[in-house]
Amino acid sequence: MKQFNQFNYYEILDIPITSTLFEIRNAYQNAVSTYSEDSLITYSFFSEDEREEILKTIDHAFYTLIDENKKAEYDEMLQKKEGIDVDSIQASRKKKPIAIFDRSKSINVNTFVEKVRTKIDDDQIKEISNTILSKETISGNDIKELREKIGIELEEIFEIERISVSILKSIEGDQVDQLPSPIYLKNFLKSYAEVLHLDSKVLVDGYLKNIRQVEQGKQRHRKHADGRVRLHRG
Amino acid sequence: MALIYPIGGGKGGVGKSFVTANLGVLLANQGYSVAIVDLDLGGSNLHTFFGLNKSKNGINRFLNQDCKTLEETAEPTAVNNLFIINSFNSQLGISNLFSAQKLKIINAIQKLPFDFVLLDLGAGTNYNTIDFFLSSDKGMFVCIPEPTSIENTFRFINAVYLRKLQHLLKQRAFNAIVLELSNGSKNAVIKAYDIVHSVIRENPQKGEKLKSQLDKLEFKFVINQFRKSVDKTIGFKIEKTCNRHFYSRFQFLGNISYDERVHNSVVARTVYMEKYAYTLTAIDLLNIAKKLTGVEQSTVRVTEDCYETV
Repeated sequence: MKQFNQFNYYEILDIPITSTLFEIRNAYQNAVSTYSEDSLITYSFFSEDEREEILKTIDHAFYTLIDENKKAEYDEMLQKKEGIDVDSIQASRKKKPIAIFDRSKSINVNTFVEKVRTKIDDDQIKEISNTILSKETISGNDIKELREKIGIELEEIFEIERISVSILKSIEGDQVDQLPSPIYLKNFLKSYAEVLHLDSKVLVDGYLKNIRQVEQGKQRHRKHADGRVRLHRG
Repeated sequence: MALIYPIGGGKGGVGKSFVTANLGVLLANQGYSVAIVDLDLGGSNLHTFFGLNKSKNGINRFLNQDCKTLEETAEPTAVNNLFIINSFNSQLGISNLFSAQKLKIINAIQKLPFDFVLLDLGAGTNYNTIDFFLSSDKGMFVCIPEPTSIENTFRFINAVYLRKLQHLLKQRAFNAIVLELSNGSKNAVIKAYDIVHSVIRENPQKGEKLKSQLDKLEFKFVINQFRKSVDKTIGFKIEKTCNRHFYSRFQFLGNISYDERVHNSVVARTVYMEKYAYTLTAIDLLNIAKKLTGVEQSTVRVTEDCYETV
């Protein structure tokens, strides 16, 4: 038999240092059931004196670990004696609630707005945004250019305004058939304009005009194609 | 070289032969060549599990030099790849082997050209049994969840340990330690670990060597005749306790459920595994065989470890 007194309390109860009170209590019950006199496992294993000694040690281990102050004292002693850094083990292995989503990945709105503002104050950017607004029709490509000049990612706009990236992409690409219904589109454009510090009314009007033009162009193209087909048939 | 698993366990009637026969069949079914050897000399039973009562061959032919090697005495069974070495038609007094005969058998066993060799040992802790058990650095215990069996299992482990120490230490040193520990009194009960401690105390270097030698021993055990009312984790508790208090490695292989039909298979003189291959007990045996060959290292374990933080 390995001598029982060469184990530390955690080894005696067979639990990790980070155990909770519930686990300690459970382990104690298990240990007692293993080493008690009527245990099927060890009743023939130890002499009377040995058993008494073991049960006493188990009791002592339990009453030390279950008491917060005594446990801290014991941990400190263990640290000195065996060089185990109890604190660091505890810190690294302590159960923490698991974050539902990682906040550090999402951007901070305030710093983002600040960043956009300083950029937009830049003269060059001002010039570009003014030329865009002075246009009669504003295409998606214009907005995209401005956005890229300022240095904003689509994902960042999504984080702030919660407009899905695919919709933003279709706005910038003038993909008429992918766009949401006009009511939604207007609101999305308004939000987008706010992010870029543009006059939202001008942007919405200009963009809607652009969309109409694109649609007309498409229809004309279709008619043209139809005509050609008819011609071919004739 | 063959993997030799002596199967012992102190108490009689716990199912050592049953486990040997069925594990033999299962290992053979896995494609290994397996020999099972009946070393319960004077109390042979293993052949009955296979209905081989007419055989003239056996270990005695090796002992009286009819056969040059032990391998020649091996007989095929109804199961592919499975061979049996009988000992039931041996001469009178076989149970009290001479030391030279014992050594001859042990040496021969270690040379057997099979993948697995399972030794069916007798009950009790006499030197023959213990020495056969120590012919390999692995071993298997069969016990049942009853105080008598568990008590005898520990007694058996203790005896194996003492014998091993006797081999490791020189005879004179061993005797000296025993004399010192008994302190002159005739009634002193000396346990194996007392001797280990004494060596460690007197000569730490030698103690370390002894420990590393003992660490090479690998004991596996199964709990047979497992009934539903018994604590399921008892095997793991025994494993833990043994690993904690002995200097060798213990592994619990699993429980084997109690089944009335075991009796029927014995009466019919057929192997249980062949007759009732799809019962709970058969599945338990199959899992144990898988663990033994390392096919399935980890099954779902019902232990306190579940609570450990990940």
